[in-house]
Amino acid sequence: MNLDVRLPAEAALALLPEILLVAGALAVLLVNGWRHRTPADSRLAGWIALVSLVPSGAALAWLWISGARSVAPFMVGVDGFRFAALALILVATAATIGLSLGYLEREGLIAPEYYSLVLFAASGMMFMAGAEDLIVLFLGLEVMSVSVYVLAGFNRGDRFSGEAALKYFLMGAFASAFLLYGIALLWGATGTTTLTDIGRRFEAGPVPGFGLIGTGLLLIGMGFKIASVPFHMWAPDAYDGAPTPVTALMATGVKVAGVVALARVLVEAFPATAFTWQPIVAALAIGSMVLGNLVALAQRPLKRMLAYSSIAHAGYLLVALWPGSRLGLSAVLVYLAAYVLTSLAAFGILGVLGRGGERDVTLDSIAGLARPRPWLAFALSVCMLSLLGIPGTFGFVGKWAILAAVIQERHYALAIVLVVTTLVSAGYYLPVVMAAYMREPASADSHAGAGLPRPAIVVVAAAVTLVLLFGVLPSGALSTAMASIPW
Amino acid sequence: MTGFLASIGYSGWILHGLLALPLLGAIPVLLAPVAAARRIALAVSLAEFLLSVGLWWALDTEPGTLQLTASVPWISAWGISYAVGIDGISLMMVLLTTLLMPLCIVGSWRYITERERGYYALLLVLLTGVIGVFIATDLFLFYVFWEVMLIPMYFIIGMWGGRNRLYAAIKFFLFTMAGSLLMLIAIVGLAWVVAARTGTLSFAYQHLLQHADLAGELAPWFFGAFALAFAIKVPVFPLHTWLPDAHVEAPTAGSVILASVLLKMGAYGFIRFAIPFFPTVAIAPVITNAVLVLAVIGIIYGALVAMVQTDIKKLVAYSSVSHLGFVMLGIWAATMQSIQGAIMIMIAHGFSTGALFFLVGMLYERRHTREISAFGGIARVVPGFSLVFSIVALSSIGLPGLNGFIGEFLVLLGAMRTQPLAAILATSGVVFAAAYLLWALQRIIYNRLEPENASLPDLSRRELVVLVPLLLGIVWLGLYPNPVLRRIEPATTRYLERVRGQFGPLDYSQAASDHRLAAGYRLTTPDPRLPAKP
Repeated sequence: MNLDVRLPAEAALALLPEILLVAGALAVLLVNGWRHRTPADSRLAGWIALVSLVPSGAALAWLWISGARSVAPFMVGVDGFRFAALALILVATAATIGLSLGYLEREGLIAPEYYSLVLFAASGMMFMAGAEDLIVLFLGLEVMSVSVYVLAGFNRGDRFSGEAALKYFLMGAFASAFLLYGIALLWGATGTTTLTDIGRRFEAGPVPGFGLIGTGLLLIGMGFKIASVPFHMWAPDAYDGAPTPVTALMATGVKVAGVVALARVLVEAFPATAFTWQPIVAALAIGSMVLGNLVALAQRPLKRMLAYSSIAHAGYLLVALWPGSRLGLSAVLVYLAAYVLTSLAAFGILGVLGRGGERDVTLDSIAGLARPRPWLAFALSVCMLSLLGIPGTFGFVGKWAILAAVIQERHYALAIVLVVTTLVSAGYYLPVVMAAYMREPASADSHAGAGLPRPAIVVVAAAVTLVLLFGVLPSGALSTAMASIPW
Repeated sequence: MTGFLASIGYSGWILHGLLALPLLGAIPVLLAPVAAARRIALAVSLAEFLLSVGLWWALDTEPGTLQLTASVPWISAWGISYAVGIDGISLMMVLLTTLLMPLCIVGSWRYITERERGYYALLLVLLTGVIGVFIATDLFLFYVFWEVMLIPMYFIIGMWGGRNRLYAAIKFFLFTMAGSLLMLIAIVGLAWVVAARTGTLSFAYQHLLQHADLAGELAPWFFGAFALAFAIKVPVFPLHTWLPDAHVEAPTAGSVILASVLLKMGAYGFIRFAIPFFPTVAIAPVITNAVLVLAVIGIIYGALVAMVQTDIKKLVAYSSVSHLGFVMLGIWAATMQSIQGAIMIMIAHGFSTGALFFLVGMLYERRHTREISAFGGIARVVPGFSLVFSIVALSSIGLPGLNGFIGEFLVLLGAMRTQPLAAILATSGVVFAAAYLLWALQRIIYNRLEPENASLPDLSRRELVVLVPLLLGIVWLGLYPNPVLRRIEPATTRYLERVRGQFGPLDYSQAASDHRLAAGYRLTTPDPRLPAKP
């Protein structure tokens, strides 16, 4: 289906998922105006938010299945790459809301505006992931970031939550400044902020040297957002202090938006200067994989360990971005899908293990989980093995896709760093499995009450099932990813 | 027999059945009441064994190629298929696996007293994984089985193992994974290199084998990655350090599977993948010499370290390092006899060492110690046990007439012609084997009887059920190995053609004389395809 985006009505059709999501967020906000006092009000807001994802998802499905294309240049991409990213963002958002329903109540947070913030953050992610123009990219990033800053500090009574929000905000503001300065320099060098036009200018001939500086600043800004080394400093504290469902959103939705936006920028605006950014991306990737994995080894609290491991996974994703090829971009999508599903389940489980604060959940607190809670232990183990990349899980398919993409370009060094650091990561993923199955619980009732609330059960069970299903039958996911690459 | 098998379409479904049955069987084991779990598992594994026995007749080993092949596209975008096939060499490995698994289950009957459902389900999953490794003919599929098999073994060691089980389990996992991840790069790299020249991206074994020479200057790196993965599994000295920990800490059945089957996957990998893919690299003098040095060190070092162990299980574990050194020597001596001998050792070691681990487990169940010094003189109390123990120990030493002898003799015979120095040094390993095993035997069943051993019960009926099949195998393979040799020979010939063929056409006089030597031992007629020596 071709959309003539020069007509307002058809442009609105192309943006239907975003528009419907923002409408849902506003509806939640409206309901909050009257009902914001009791836990039931909070639950109601959560359910409205969850339901409001449905029209957005339906619109997305319609656009995707009908193969919507734009006949004219547009500020937002109308292609499979955007649709796939939007689908992942919607899944992450729905799961975050599902996990929050029980979590907020347990933590005594009666604050229905939480859910509208989640939806606003999601809409920002969606704009960011589709941005064909640096201005849209920046707007999407700010909408997303500001919402997530607030969400990170949502547990007002907890000073770690406040610390997380403040650190995230300050570093995020820095990153935004870098990004904005980069955009300004690029505009100065090329006279445009549209990605494809920038690409044409770079291709046509030499651009002023500060255009390259602009590229670098842009990379730094995006590097902050996806938490790649050396711009990762904020991530562990922010992940650690934020309420766990928010951490799940930061690890999944924010990462999808950042990586997909970065991919679009690199492929559309800078294909001609690949020789300048490829070494930078490779360096960022190697740094993230090595540092993320090594430091994760030393973490005792599981939440912090997962925070560092998410830095490592950003590194794997950068490896997939490095070739800039169709195969590499499809690997980005596959790996993101695997990582999103696995992380959602992992953080969801972590959320229920931490009665009295997930920050204190260590290996000792999950010792012997398998006996009283066999399904929980099984789900947790599947998550760890998928993050590690064991065959039979979706995580392995993602890793294989990345390896296939870099090895096709004969970049063996990146591939070797990837597998060696994967081996290092076994050193912290396996002890989780080991603690759950092979150690004795500290006391007889140490896992009493570690049950998941019902919405969270659905989220975790669905995510784990999909991780296993796509692990065994990845064909559909792979060909969808491949077909989604428009370049 | 063949007529009956043909009538039920045996060769059409058997390989898929062997993969599916244990995996599906694990489900009722998990769901059944605890008391029934082991019975169901035993039934499944017995059915698996009975099904697999038909392969002995159904497989036409004469062409030496992969038979009963089947291939179904799995991930077609990447040229990955579910593809299986079997030849004489993998046949032996599959039969060894399916035979040992019911014995392992019976052997665990009393030993495993908690979380039984999980234990028996994991054993069945492991069975699927191991068979998959031996019959996969797509490199992606092979890699999947190779890695997936780690998980059940990791849990078996870590959940039902001894005091140091957590350390042993993670060490086992990390060592194996270290090798296999680099192998993954080599597999993907090889497939891309071949795809770049031929235009077809495929992970099919035959396709890659045919075009592996396109790897060019990358071949040494690819070979190195494959070889590292397999060498860790074998294990080749100095990569063996995971083995004593894993073998000693694992429960009896786990040790049996590890020693009898999992180690063979390494040697199998060399014969099936690493060497045929990159023969010019593999038998280059520098690689050959390095492997031979490590193999001989492994043989002697393993034997010497076994000699000073005070724990019987550790002694048996180190004896594996020594025996597998012979296998490596046989493979790299690259003669007809030495390779047949290597495969014979792989089979014989499966029987003897499996039986030794069972016997050690039985001692442990009686006394809850494995210290050699805790025993002595028990021949008077448990004559049946002592008789079996003596026979098995002698077979492990390589006494003529028992299974250990055939393989070691063929390896030394073959190696003597191409690598005399290594063969002579390796011979000392046989002497050391006699020393450590006979000495241990003397200290355990002879000498003075300690009072605390005076009332040990002799072998129970259940224990006899475990040991008798192994004893029969030990004697049969020792006295009449021809049926086995005949079935592995054509595949070995093809392998040698592939390896030597890299240096121009095969020197048939050499092959024929190889053949006659082997034939002389086998007392059968020579292969008519090979021209007689003028």
